[in-house]
Amino acid sequence: MINRRDTLIGLAGLAGALTAARAQGGEVVIGAIYPMTGPTAQVGTDAKHAFDTALEVINTAVSLELPTAKNAGLAGLGGAKVRIVYADHQADPQKGRAEAERLITQEKVAAIVGCFHSSVSTTVSATCERYGVPFVCADSSSPSLHRRNLKFFFRTAAHDEMFSEAMFNFLDAQKAKGQKIASVGLFYEDTIFGSDSSNVQRKLAQERGYKVACDIKYRNSSPSLTAEVQQIKSASPDVLMPSSYTTDAILLVKTMAELGYKPKSIIAQAAGFVEKPTLDAVGDRLGGMITRASFSVDLGEKRASAHAINEKFKARAGRDLNDQTSRQFTALIVLADAIDRARSTDGQKVRDALAATDIPGDKTIMPWSRVKFGADGQNTFASPVLIQYVGNRFVTVYPFEVAAGAAQWPMNG
Amino acid sequence: MNAAAWLQVLASGLLMGLVYGLVAVGLSLIFGLMDVVNFAHGEFLMLAMYAAFGLFSFAHLDPVIALPLVAAAMFGVGAFAYAGVVRHALRFKANTGMVQIFATFGLATLIQGAAQYLFSPDYRSIKGGWLEGHTLNVGGVFLPSAQVYAALVSVLAFGGLYLLMTRTDFGRALEATREDKGAVALVGIDSNRVFTLGWGLGAALVGVAGAVLATFYYIHPQVGASFALIAYVTVALGGFGSVFGALAAGVIVGIVEAGTAALLPPALKALGVYLLYLAVLFLRPQGLFGKL
Repeated sequence: MINRRDTLIGLAGLAGALTAARAQGGEVVIGAIYPMTGPTAQVGTDAKHAFDTALEVINTAVSLELPTAKNAGLAGLGGAKVRIVYADHQADPQKGRAEAERLITQEKVAAIVGCFHSSVSTTVSATCERYGVPFVCADSSSPSLHRRNLKFFFRTAAHDEMFSEAMFNFLDAQKAKGQKIASVGLFYEDTIFGSDSSNVQRKLAQERGYKVACDIKYRNSSPSLTAEVQQIKSASPDVLMPSSYTTDAILLVKTMAELGYKPKSIIAQAAGFVEKPTLDAVGDRLGGMITRASFSVDLGEKRASAHAINEKFKARAGRDLNDQTSRQFTALIVLADAIDRARSTDGQKVRDALAATDIPGDKTIMPWSRVKFGADGQNTFASPVLIQYVGNRFVTVYPFEVAAGAAQWPMNG
Repeated sequence: MNAAAWLQVLASGLLMGLVYGLVAVGLSLIFGLMDVVNFAHGEFLMLAMYAAFGLFSFAHLDPVIALPLVAAAMFGVGAFAYAGVVRHALRFKANTGMVQIFATFGLATLIQGAAQYLFSPDYRSIKGGWLEGHTLNVGGVFLPSAQVYAALVSVLAFGGLYLLMTRTDFGRALEATREDKGAVALVGIDSNRVFTLGWGLGAALVGVAGAVLATFYYIHPQVGASFALIAYVTVALGGFGSVFGALAAGVIVGIVEAGTAALLPPALKALGVYLLYLAVLFLRPQGLFGKL
């Protein structure tokens, strides 16, 4: 007779065998930690569409010039399919850390991608490092993330230093053309995204001789931003440089209009300013706004795969790829390619394969020259672009080599 | 910042403060009536904003017109929340306080989850409403017409509430029930009915707040959270259960918050409000206008 103890041992053995078999024959499990509820839940929902689009490329045969596209599943693992397990961090670094731990120990994920909020990517990447599981940072841009000597941290996209440098290069170029740009105004939310972004911008402004007319750190998701906007209005900088998530971006633009303030020009650190809800709500007041980006739909004219992927994404999400979703898509493709080459889901082997990644730019949907990580895990070839919101769409205005046209400057003359 | 800028900050604080008061008064009313803190208050606000958005999008009713409809619908939601959830939670004899907290907190989580599922987590806003984009310029001080409207509605709602509480049988029954539940039962007032109507009224008031907020604020399943937090502080500051304390406290919170944001780094703008709240707690624990 089989007693309960035997059954338990048998079940445990079966579960262990299944986990081992999963990687070889069936599937590779990857964790994705995103805000699925809470004030930025919309980012998580869109991320899921971006990952579903990437899974279509990875798990089915698609004739596009992208890694892992040609055959169904991962060839290096006998055609194993990739499956994503989602976890919700609600923009809370501690919830992110707990979910990373759960995904690694319970779901046995081969790697984790995430996490939008830089504050959450900080704790999640530290947890991954502890367990020796690779973390591919898709869309968090704080420069401090790759400066922590982590061996399992990889970031495919540019960080805010690269982005902000592009902004100031652009400003210098405008000045050289005879535009009067003397001051910038910093306006940033109070987590690591905003403070890291503003630190870089403050430093660059000083180095390049721009006066910082106002330097406003505000509380995110506040019911009102009137007093904050009043300070910007009083300072009246030549260029307003906001680093804000969606809720605050909408409220900021509305409040500026209500107080009769038209910023001379805006150069935004993407985030909330490229999200469709922001453009739907206040886009009519953002004509001429410039934002940094990793992607722009008009780049699709130069990269055939970008156009095709955008169509696939749009069919799912009902909106174009943007700065966030294009980076999420790319991060998963790069990770799947590394697992494919590693021929294993072992953390160390996938890590080494990621470190050896070298994908030429034309095999991605991004305007980058290539994907190749430095020793710190940062892709140093992720060249940022600046895009301008003109006539309800974004056009690339910088670098000038890839620009669709000259920038409209200033935004409100 | 110069004097004109300060005037602007104070005016904006006052307008926002009147809205804070309106958001908080339903919470205070329900607490005063039956000593229950409704943790789903922010979610009621969110539902009201979605109701206004829905009526605007599908029935092309401007939120100004839709206001009574939203308030009426929220009256139903409030009455149902009492009859369907809170009434049952009150039956428990042990640990009553905790059961009430978890019941309304659970209701909040449920409403929030359902809203995200049904309405998606996208941020909505009402585009092309009557009040949109108009701003009154009073001697250099900008008063957005949507917020002026919200402040006016708030004052009118408080006026109406005052008349209701002092001039009608229902108001007197409400007042009597809050003073002595046992005694009103003896004179033939059904306290259950009064509670149901009280919850309905509280929710209808937050419904009014939601309908006016929808004219100028973004709408989102989590939008209630930031207002609810301020509502709890407002109610505690004004005095738990004091309806007009909520009005005064709302205005104080609005002005102090705006002033702090102008004086200190705006990231610390909640500091002024909470310091004031702490001071009141130490010096006058029943709140500014509380009786307790």
